[in-house]
Amino acid sequence: MSAAAIRARGLEKTYVDPRGGRVEALRGLDLECSSGEIFGLLGQNGAGKTTTLRILSTTLSPTAGSAEVDGVDVARDPIEARRRLGFLSGTTGLYPRLSPRETLAFFGRLHGFEKDELDARVEELVRAFAMEEFADRRCEGLSTGQRQRVSIARAVLHDPPVLVLDEPTTGLDVLASSAMIDFIESARAGGTCVLLSTHVLSEAERLCDRIGILHGGRLLACGPLDELREKTGKVWLEDVFKELVQHARETTR
Amino acid sequence: MSAQRTDRTRTITPSVMRATWLVARHELVSAFRDRQTTLYAVVVPVVLYPFLFWAMIQGAFFLQGARERTEVELALVADSRAEVPNELADALSEDPGRAGLDRIDVAPLERVADATSARARVRRNGEDAPEKSDAVLLVEDGGRADSPGEGVGSSLFFDSTDPESELARTRVERRLPEFAASLREAAAEARRTDPEELAPLRVEVAVDVAANRERGAYLLSFLLPMLLVVMTVLGAFYPAVDMTAGERERRTQETTLLLPVPRAAVHQGKILAVCATAIIATGLNLLALGFSAGHLVALAQLGPEIEIDLPFQAFAAIAPLALLFALFVSAVLTGIGALARSFQEGQALLGPVQMVFILPAMAGVLPGMELTPGLACVPVLNVVFAFRGLLQGRSMPLEYAITAVSLVVCSAVAVVIAMRILSRESAPRGSWIARSIGRARAAEEDSI
Repeated sequence: MSAAAIRARGLEKTYVDPRGGRVEALRGLDLECSSGEIFGLLGQNGAGKTTTLRILSTTLSPTAGSAEVDGVDVARDPIEARRRLGFLSGTTGLYPRLSPRETLAFFGRLHGFEKDELDARVEELVRAFAMEEFADRRCEGLSTGQRQRVSIARAVLHDPPVLVLDEPTTGLDVLASSAMIDFIESARAGGTCVLLSTHVLSEAERLCDRIGILHGGRLLACGPLDELREKTGKVWLEDVFKELVQHARETTR
Repeated sequence: MSAQRTDRTRTITPSVMRATWLVARHELVSAFRDRQTTLYAVVVPVVLYPFLFWAMIQGAFFLQGARERTEVELALVADSRAEVPNELADALSEDPGRAGLDRIDVAPLERVADATSARARVRRNGEDAPEKSDAVLLVEDGGRADSPGEGVGSSLFFDSTDPESELARTRVERRLPEFAASLREAAAEARRTDPEELAPLRVEVAVDVAANRERGAYLLSFLLPMLLVVMTVLGAFYPAVDMTAGERERRTQETTLLLPVPRAAVHQGKILAVCATAIIATGLNLLALGFSAGHLVALAQLGPEIEIDLPFQAFAAIAPLALLFALFVSAVLTGIGALARSFQEGQALLGPVQMVFILPAMAGVLPGMELTPGLACVPVLNVVFAFRGLLQGRSMPLEYAITAVSLVVCSAVAVVIAMRILSRESAPRGSWIARSIGRARAAEEDSI
């Protein structure tokens, strides 16, 4: 396995709850993902998945600990970290009044592409994601599947070595989900490190080289699915997950 | 746990009245838990508008007081043959019982050759000429030399585009007929005749020495400054909400924050875009009104003596201040818009804020106020009165410079604060992302 493309050490994140309480979303998370690997983060709502991904994408900063993307510390050099990262989630919407081509061009310019290089890259992505039919229509008029393709193209425009995907198939129909899974597999084949958060366990079973189970801001277990099966004595990932979470709850009581 | 009721008595459908009341109560509770409804229904009417109206009334009283305390100069002139009543100067200088207020400083009587000489004595456009006066009252011989004090005519020369001259005209026109009536009664009594048979002092005509074009510029000087403020605010309003709360609602904020550029560049870009929209809206509106004002005046039949030309010089002179003002407004609106969670909430927040700009701008239609060094420090008012002065052709380099400095300082402060608010939105603690995750986390812990 090659060098760590994502590395988190003792990552902590504390929020002040609107009701005045203190919420520890992450409590010393350690994580390492390699190039050419798909790493799946599983956890209940509020387990800390989204917080982890947002710290890596620099939209949040950690309360303590450190995180690196492709060797770049996200807190020290967030701009360079963003250069090396493609991020996709349900909250990274498309600009409704721009067309897919304009969206890609906008991101490309801010990623520092020269005009000729940018034009060529945009055309390449339009073809690769079969966007020819709607590339010049405003995004607000596109179907969910078409928007998803534009979003992926936007995330990989600068060919990042690391892809962070937060529940990438949520809200997609079967065909669009399938296309997304194909894309993730192709990214791994291209040597990209993919960090994936999902609630769809079948997706994780199919795609992930390693799986991390998050609960209460801590990583309960981490490893290939077979290793987790062995550890829990369960066969199905759903049962593995439940076993680990149940055990953690009993331990904390 | 079972959802079955233990008491299985039949329920009774409430009457229409009771159902109406229950629905209304439910809707009211929901409505008043909505911050926007509370803001518009309670906070704004109870706090903001009374304060603004109080400020406006205080301002009106202040202006009224300032007008009453303003002493204007009147030159009393007469042709060589006219007999001027001795008491005229005293009668014009002050109202009985209002000592020290509405005073006219009446210069000693002078003899002039004709009406042209009298007209030339009117001080024009705030010029500093001691030999000139705010208004000139010319007393002419009425051709009744055999009857002293009878048949004397008068003409008042004034400049309708000069507030002090206008003030002098108002005061003279109020006092002169009163004095004429008392003079007529005294003359009638002396001759033992009916006062109606005498016309001792005729109040003839008020002659406006301002040119038609100057009157047009004066009219525009009341309309355009207010329009400048209103259009800047309205032009910035929707982009400010759209680029902050609107972006959050569309879920594109995080997309923008993923750009590999400094966050400051993103925030500055937003403020700049809002500012550009405000400038375009303002520029087009000013030009449109400037072009159409002549036709509007003709349609409104304000009189043929008003001629309106597009004031390109004033537009060019106000442009730097208008740009700074647009930046100031854009930064304020963008910063406040960033506090909102949705487009609707953004509109609700910015509604009262735009009134904070627009209501002071209405001071621009009050006559008698000019840009002073003190006023030049007050944002909104300074740009209004600077524009008014420029449209009236006044030269005010010191006030203009103070206005520019004041707007630079205000814009810089507003931009810094807006950037902090926008940064807080995208940064770790206190951000909407953090808050929403915090809420989800807290809800999860509750459920566990």
